[in-house]
Amino acid sequence: MFDVVVIGSGPAGYVSAIRASQLGLKTLCVEQSIDEKGKLNLGGTCLNVGCIPSKALLDSSQRYYEANKNLADHGIVVGDLKLDLKSMMKRKDDIVSKLTGGINGLFAANKVQSISGKGKVVSNNIVEVTKTDGSIENIETKNIILATGSKPIEIPSASFSENIVDSTGALSFKKLPKTVGIVGAGIIGLELGSVWSRLGSEVTLLEALDDFLPMADPDISKESYREYKNQGLDIKLSSKVIDTEELKNSVKVTYEQKGKKHEMEFEKLIVAVGRIPNSEEILSEDVNIKIDKGFIEVNEFCQTSIQNIWAIGDLVRGPMLAHKGSEEGIMVAEKIANNHVQVNYDLVPSVIYTHPEIAWVGMNENELKSKGINFKIGKFPFAASGRALAVDQSEGFVKVLTDIKTDTILGVHVFGPAAAEIVQQALISMEFGSSAEDIGLTMFSHPTVSEAFHEAALASNNQAIHIVNKRK
Amino acid sequence: MGIKIKAPTFPESVADGTIANWVKKEGEDINQDEVIAEIETDKVVLEVLAQSDGVISKILKTEGETVESSEIIGEFEESNEPSEIKNTDTQKKSKPKKEEKITEEPQSKKANIENKKIAPAAKKMILEENLDTNDINPTGKDNRITKADVIKHLSPDEEEISSSESSVSNGGRPEKRVPMSRLRSTIAKRLVSVKQETAMLTTFNEVDMLPIKDLRKKYGAEFENEHEVKLGFMGFFVMAAVQALKKFPVVNASIDGNDVVYHGFQDIGVAVSTERGLVVPVIKDADTKSLPEIEKSIIEYSDKARNGKLSIEEMQGGTFTISNGGIFGSLLSTPILNAPQTAILGMHAIQDRPVAINGNITIRPMMYLAMSYDHRLLDGKEAVTFLVSIKEQLESPERLLLNL
Repeated sequence: MFDVVVIGSGPAGYVSAIRASQLGLKTLCVEQSIDEKGKLNLGGTCLNVGCIPSKALLDSSQRYYEANKNLADHGIVVGDLKLDLKSMMKRKDDIVSKLTGGINGLFAANKVQSISGKGKVVSNNIVEVTKTDGSIENIETKNIILATGSKPIEIPSASFSENIVDSTGALSFKKLPKTVGIVGAGIIGLELGSVWSRLGSEVTLLEALDDFLPMADPDISKESYREYKNQGLDIKLSSKVIDTEELKNSVKVTYEQKGKKHEMEFEKLIVAVGRIPNSEEILSEDVNIKIDKGFIEVNEFCQTSIQNIWAIGDLVRGPMLAHKGSEEGIMVAEKIANNHVQVNYDLVPSVIYTHPEIAWVGMNENELKSKGINFKIGKFPFAASGRALAVDQSEGFVKVLTDIKTDTILGVHVFGPAAAEIVQQALISMEFGSSAEDIGLTMFSHPTVSEAFHEAALASNNQAIHIVNKRK
Repeated sequence: MGIKIKAPTFPESVADGTIANWVKKEGEDINQDEVIAEIETDKVVLEVLAQSDGVISKILKTEGETVESSEIIGEFEESNEPSEIKNTDTQKKSKPKKEEKITEEPQSKKANIENKKIAPAAKKMILEENLDTNDINPTGKDNRITKADVIKHLSPDEEEISSSESSVSNGGRPEKRVPMSRLRSTIAKRLVSVKQETAMLTTFNEVDMLPIKDLRKKYGAEFENEHEVKLGFMGFFVMAAVQALKKFPVVNASIDGNDVVYHGFQDIGVAVSTERGLVVPVIKDADTKSLPEIEKSIIEYSDKARNGKLSIEEMQGGTFTISNGGIFGSLLSTPILNAPQTAILGMHAIQDRPVAINGNITIRPMMYLAMSYDHRLLDGKEAVTFLVSIKEQLESPERLLLNL
């Protein structure tokens, strides 16, 4: 009998399993994915077909783009520049296998057992594992943690095929497509669009919504939209894909924009309209847990209606982000061990790994206004940051929003270099209830792009040194 | 050495006060002339100031306790010498003692801050405002004090203050029980004692305000230009009262035991309504003041009264009081004496009313006057003729000029 069986080994599942084992619980992790050699493939979407491979390609493509466009400005002249997509993909695959292999090592070191197969909860205490050879093993356990993640949504007007792919397919094109269409200008669409656009594809994003990045701070949406357009991403808003037709070596897409029908042809069409939880076939009918629109219903501690069954990560409410799933995994493992850990859902950071990056944490201007909270704004442009200028990344800004009375930081929004890392600094301070003045009173290394956060915090109290403060 | 912190010497008319607030806490550093505590009396809030730099070593009277004039409310440790001398002093002593001294020195503030988790901006505020960290409710991780906590400590939301209020349910209908403020309870006590200890009665008259209205219409703008103060009604009433008081010195007198004290000056109290209650600043030596001077003092006093800035001196004494219920629309009322004064004049709302003048009915802006007086000292005849005299002066303002 196990103390904990975790179904799924993505960033929620494997983290939860490791922590559970660290806490002295006998833990087993069930994973259905296997690699070409038939070996267990740990890490889930994030490591295999998500965060990590996309970041590998984002970095490679950015280097290519810079060599192609910017190096001459630095006085570096390169000869004929060539793209070797095969090597680029191999580098990505190597990173992925290194990391997934790393999880094997971590499991071993932390005494987490793993089993290959498809897990299903058949009763409160039994997980049925169907192995690749079809054999079935029933595993008894005191607690079950569901962490089966999510998968890309497929839309009826664009069913997946040879040339209509999801985000996974878009990370492994064999040759550079001349034209790429992307359905959805969200985080995934923008990242994938950036990769292929930098490598030379003509990229068009078709976004059904009228607003660009509506979940981001309005200043960020506005400025980043302009910047992406400058980079050559053709973003068409209010454009709903209504039909696709597979041609010989391309896809014909029909979309509707403001009542008018348009047609476009792309070599590859990437559908990136969102993800849905993998909640089908993980619970047998006898197990009475409520599922709402694919999401497994849980309380604030990720506990389902059955006391010893938990669900974490993309399976449950909240943003589908690896770090959110990991923290939930930690919380549940600690809860099972009778410890008290709670996820702070108010401070879940979001990042878009384009160039420049977008990142934010806490509330944005729209949210503060709709909540009727009185706030101050401190903004600092990277154009005024010495380091940003030196490294040729002076687009964007840091925006700090604070409570007008208490000076408490309510949100930090960054568009620019190392946005994710800057937001992380803000998040740590916010976790400790920091005020903008606290950041103002903290020393920052010079020259760093982080100084922009320092200055934005100072600016919120009209104390910025390196820009002119707005008049009181 | 401990120096005693004493409550200020209260003016004669103030029997006692309560500690409203210790601005500084035990162990806190104080600079000379900083406010240590506030004492609320029935008239004003008095500040207790530090006589020199030092530290509060002991608080003897806690907030809410009653204190008498010059009573010792706490102890104070003077910081002995300038720091330079201290250094040479410590160098002479043996090593361990030196260390002791060093840790002792910044004690007050450091004890406050050491071993506490405080965010940088919060620490800055705590040091600047000289706060006791024990009083601040920490909300940050691991009981860290955040800047927001300090701000909330310094200006708590209203709902958080009203701890002494209690809600009483009366058959399901809400009721609230709130302790009476010191000022309110003083007013209550006084009013009752005046009613019980004097033989008070009221005489009435009415005054045609047309002449003064005309005068204001004619000279108002010029007056304001010249004296930078509006020409109001109150000035005329004060002037008229002063003239009448001069004619009837007994109205200006007061009873003290078995004696009658005749005052050789006319100090006129003018009742001003404030949020905390009614206060009566006194225009001293009103008989020596011109009309513009009187108008100016009235404006100055009512501003001060509304901001709670009146000093005890400004409210002390008074030989006669004028109260204006008219500004709230009162048509007629009987004012209560401001003991130990002998009379009080009540002004009321000006109303257009038909009156018979020289056998003709005309419409005039009329005001009822009421004068309550202490019948022990004043007979009806004097009281009535006094009031008539005021009436006549107001109806023919030239009498003011001619001392009639």
